[in-house]
Amino acid sequence: MTVLAEQQEDSARRTRRSLTLSIGLLLVGLHLAVALLTLVWIPYDPTGMTGGRLEAPSWAHWAGTDRLGRDLFTQIMIGSRIALIVGAGAVAIAAAIGVTLGVLAAFATRYLDDALAATFDILIAFPTLLLAMLVVAATGTASLLSAILALGIAISAIVARLTRILAKRVLAMDYITAARTAGSSWPSIVFRHLLPNIWPTLSVNFALQFGLAVIAEASLSYLGLGAPPPNASWGRLLQEAQGTVYTAPFGAVAPGLALVSLVIGMNLLADGLRDIGDPTRRRSR
Amino acid sequence: MTLLAIDGLTLSIGDQALVRDLSLSIAGGERLGLIGESGSGKSLTALAAIGLLPPDIRAEGSILLDGRQVIGAREEDLLPLRGAAVATVFQEPLTALDPLMKVGRQVAEPLARRYRREGKKLDRKALAREVRDLLERVSLPDIDRIVNAYPYEISGGQRQRIAIAMALACRPKLLIADEPTTALDVTTQAEILDLLSDLVRENGMALLFISHDLPVVARVAEKVAVLRRGEVVEQGPVTSVFGAPAHEYTRTLVSAAAAFDKALEPAQ
Repeated sequence: MTVLAEQQEDSARRTRRSLTLSIGLLLVGLHLAVALLTLVWIPYDPTGMTGGRLEAPSWAHWAGTDRLGRDLFTQIMIGSRIALIVGAGAVAIAAAIGVTLGVLAAFATRYLDDALAATFDILIAFPTLLLAMLVVAATGTASLLSAILALGIAISAIVARLTRILAKRVLAMDYITAARTAGSSWPSIVFRHLLPNIWPTLSVNFALQFGLAVIAEASLSYLGLGAPPPNASWGRLLQEAQGTVYTAPFGAVAPGLALVSLVIGMNLLADGLRDIGDPTRRRSR
Repeated sequence: MTLLAIDGLTLSIGDQALVRDLSLSIAGGERLGLIGESGSGKSLTALAAIGLLPPDIRAEGSILLDGRQVIGAREEDLLPLRGAAVATVFQEPLTALDPLMKVGRQVAEPLARRYRREGKKLDRKALAREVRDLLERVSLPDIDRIVNAYPYEISGGQRQRIAIAMALACRPKLLIADEPTTALDVTTQAEILDLLSDLVRENGMALLFISHDLPVVARVAEKVAVLRRGEVVEQGPVTSVFGAPAHEYTRTLVSAAAAFDKALEPAQ
């Protein structure tokens, strides 16, 4: 009876998990599809006046128009592209820097390891946004690239700290010692044993960081430090809608929904990913 | 020819000595049992012999492995020794295998390294064939399934057989077995011990067998060193050490084992 109950609970959990993954994939896939679509087709010229000012949503303008009469839905679609580029770029940079430094710290002598760990902790203590603003200030101009670079560097500290902890735990395992006694070189240990074993946890974290990067990019753009026009970032749309939020709330609601749906999608995807990378949690065939 | 010569080895952490003035030697093809209670420094001695001591442990004395000094040696000088001169089987068969790598690939890895070492061509098919040969030699059943299984999908005894196959794949001159049967049940224990003895004999390997269990050591080794609190208290051929123990600690070990045998006798 208890075994049966356990099995039922187990299968219920599995269904819930696969549902999480499906919804996550659906939301992220939707944004990805829209982003790809904008490369070949958009409903209106995003900078041209295509209707009256501050029009409410209609069949012609699904999300209404802004105070210059530009179609909001078109801009939100382009915003998807910007958000995905920034998220992917930032996570890629953070992964490259963070995983390298984290693995290095895990292998390093005690003093170097302590120094690196302290550096990660200090960098993490800085709010991501503040760090990103410093980087944007350092590069001089606000551009799509500076936003990606800024967020990538800010997130790399988080990735580095996580990588260091995970790597230390794996390096203490017997199978690493076994591989070393059998003559495995360091590079072979890193690429064959270490990285595959920390990847399941790292990939979940990457998906979470992706969502955070999207929010941070919106914040940067909101502050005027993100991608400049004509890149229609969601953050900038929110900022532009701020002045007219009482008369035309849809101007803020629509980009807000877009932002939230992508971030939620990324978080659900992260949850679902947790089970894919780890064969011990996979259903045995 | 001496394969492993440990001379006056002292291992310490801070100012506390963990192993004191330990000396032992193993010739090619010889089987030495290192016996002692847990915490007596057996495993540390084994790690020292392959130059894999934790960084905070200091080593003094001399360890010659296949004629080369291990203490103070650089990592890149030790690398060619590992696998070629020595390979190790550990106590815990679950943690000794990479949980995310299929068993077949794990065995293939040291094998591929040996091929490179011997300058043999890396042929995927030949490699796969020899992996299967190795799994057969350690008496694993259902090889088709096991080759593609993850470590968590097979039993503890099977995992230990895999670990042995991986060590065999290196074709080392010396095999270090660190409590290889302690985590296994009694029946499996006996099977693994017989397997190890047979393989060592067939391949002419030397064996350093570490255990706290006297009957187990008596079963596989011909020479024995008794370690207590970091010091060797007695060493010599198994028959003389266990037959006529000179040190009091060895006597307690032997009488404990004898008492255990006696207790079993009426049942047999």
